[in-house]
Amino acid sequence: MTKNKDVSSGITRRRILRTGAAAALTVVAAPYIRPSWAASAPIKIGMVIPFTGSTGAYGPEMEKAAKLAVKMINDNGGLLGGRMIELFIEDSESNPTAGAAATKKLLEVNDVNSIIGYWGSPIAMASKQLLIDAKKVMMVSCAANAVTEQEHGGLIWRFQAKSTQWGPVGAKILKQRGHKKISVLAQQNPFIVSMIDPFIAEVKKGGGTIVDNVSYLPEQPSYRAEVEKVFGAKPDAVFIPGLLTDFTSIMKEVYRGGYMSKVCSLSIAADANGRFLKNVGAEVAEGIDHYQPAPPLSSPNYKKFIKAMGEPEDTVFLFAGNAYDQVWTAALAIEKAGTDVSSEWTKKVIEISNPPGALVGDGLEALKMIRKGEAVAYVGAGADCDFDTMGDQLNRHFLHRVIKNGQNEFVQTLS
Amino acid sequence: MIAYLTTIMTLVSIAVLIAFALNVQWGMCGMVNFGLAGFVALGAYTTALISLNGGGFFVSVFAAIIVCAVMGAIVSLISMRLSEDYLAVVTLGFGEIIRLVTLNEGWLTGGALGLPGIPRPMIDVIGTDHYEVFFLGICVVIVGIVFAGLEIATRGPFGRSLRAVRDDDLVASSLGKNVLLLRVKAFAVGGGITGIAGSLQAFQFSYIDPSQFTAIMTAYAFMAVIAGGQGSHRGLILGACSVMFLLEATRFLKDVVDVLDNSQIAAIRLILIGAGLILLLIFRPQGLLREYRLKAPKSSPSSADSTAT
Repeated sequence: MTKNKDVSSGITRRRILRTGAAAALTVVAAPYIRPSWAASAPIKIGMVIPFTGSTGAYGPEMEKAAKLAVKMINDNGGLLGGRMIELFIEDSESNPTAGAAATKKLLEVNDVNSIIGYWGSPIAMASKQLLIDAKKVMMVSCAANAVTEQEHGGLIWRFQAKSTQWGPVGAKILKQRGHKKISVLAQQNPFIVSMIDPFIAEVKKGGGTIVDNVSYLPEQPSYRAEVEKVFGAKPDAVFIPGLLTDFTSIMKEVYRGGYMSKVCSLSIAADANGRFLKNVGAEVAEGIDHYQPAPPLSSPNYKKFIKAMGEPEDTVFLFAGNAYDQVWTAALAIEKAGTDVSSEWTKKVIEISNPPGALVGDGLEALKMIRKGEAVAYVGAGADCDFDTMGDQLNRHFLHRVIKNGQNEFVQTLS
Repeated sequence: MIAYLTTIMTLVSIAVLIAFALNVQWGMCGMVNFGLAGFVALGAYTTALISLNGGGFFVSVFAAIIVCAVMGAIVSLISMRLSEDYLAVVTLGFGEIIRLVTLNEGWLTGGALGLPGIPRPMIDVIGTDHYEVFFLGICVVIVGIVFAGLEIATRGPFGRSLRAVRDDDLVASSLGKNVLLLRVKAFAVGGGITGIAGSLQAFQFSYIDPSQFTAIMTAYAFMAVIAGGQGSHRGLILGACSVMFLLEATRFLKDVVDVLDNSQIAAIRLILIGAGLILLLIFRPQGLLREYRLKAPKSSPSSADSTAT
């Protein structure tokens, strides 16, 4: 009984208005639209980092650091005799599928010769085959061992300590503090899961015992059950590797419950560039030990980097420094190789970053030396930047700090 | 650009398959399934585990279909007394169970680390250079087969019975239709299709982990079905394409617009996707294409075209 509605296709007042509005918008937007062919033969580098989703908070600082490095290089004449670096940034949405699509877009549409960034192991894992197939360089800032484990033809470089390196450090800190009965309350994510076994092994080696080993899911509405189970058994100390948001909720819960066990965590949770203290206040945070891979804090290059980022002098960047180093390492290797063909310049990465070359912290200085034919070993803003042949970073030291009276106090550097 | 489009088309094919499954269960039979991502994960893990242990392409895909279909039937059976909202809760729970199992049973699923190195079918024969195109070919063929199967089923007695159950199960039941059996069948068929989608996802990335199968996957399937027109398989393909087009085309925004920084662009991108869908729903609430209906023949026999939508 229904009758098909006849859809008019003629010119109507509304249609004209709509078209007119679209045309007007185009005219207004035109000055902000730039054609991609404006620069002559730039060296294209892609970057996949999170701006949205659960890890979205880390993208902006990495973007800022990478752009800072690119600007320094371009302002001083670019690479390979005057070619500028062009940086293309994509949002990974904290999601492996979206990260892989972004990777593919950078590779195929923007024709980049390498992709840097990659905060988060699942995103790197889902994207790495794409880069290996395309024979392009991948520089990651994530920790899961699996990223560099399989053969990748020397294309993957990790600007971060491996998960398995993180675990034992926590155990050493707890042992120094004299804690014997230890519990673990760990977030379920690839990076943290792989640090737990080495942590437990190190605790046992030091004569300690593990009371509980509990995992929790990120983004839970409440952590009361987990906190009661772990802290209720009254261990000497609890190791809580997590990320900022869940660690904040857990510590509020611990404070509410009045538990006395000491807490050791990672700086990405218990500091997060000061955000943890801002979240919970000094009282809740009192006495928490935390650590993370240390940037070369005393190096003038790191101080210069912090200043250029516009942050207070005592800031301990982790991811921003890594992003900065990724750009510089790529730039130096490209200059050294004399080409931006990825499969060629990736072979030069170890040569410009590891000794025996002269240790140079200033990237521009290193560029000049490379042009003169001198050997350099770049020391970054995030790490010493020395690599083994599988692309993992060597000599990662960890910075151990403790929260006292609402301040992060330096304790020691461990390895 | 071609290779990028190939990847996007492959992702669209997987999204279309998931949306097909939802269309059988919800679009045709009226049973809401919020646990789609769980079914896809089940299919992906089944495929991954079998092919990592030496099973071939067909064996692992077939196993995924069986596992997901059986699981679909079981889920609909245990919720046989439930309908509408309650079924939605059960399926939501099922999805969560699968997620928790994949995340916590590390001995089987690799836990949060996931399963890397899933062998891609026939990669030795094809080589890596043209593999993407070949794989897209596989996906398109599978989508074509499923589409044809569903169209035939929709136009046959099975489709008509399902729609009768959806529109009013009491009437269907009073006309002698076995409503329970029809619902179980619809859920099993839908489950089987999600199994295929999961297999393809596992082969596409050659790596799976629990974070790939989140609620957003289910949400995209609902978007595709709603945008395409509930019950219409053809519309749904259009719907899935438009959702993916919105998702990916907005990436190019920042390559041409220079005034905003990346975190603003990223947020605006997601806002645009939402706005696009809202506009679609405002201007075409019935979806892009209408569900297939038999038409009464008109006076002139030449225009009695039963395939018109």
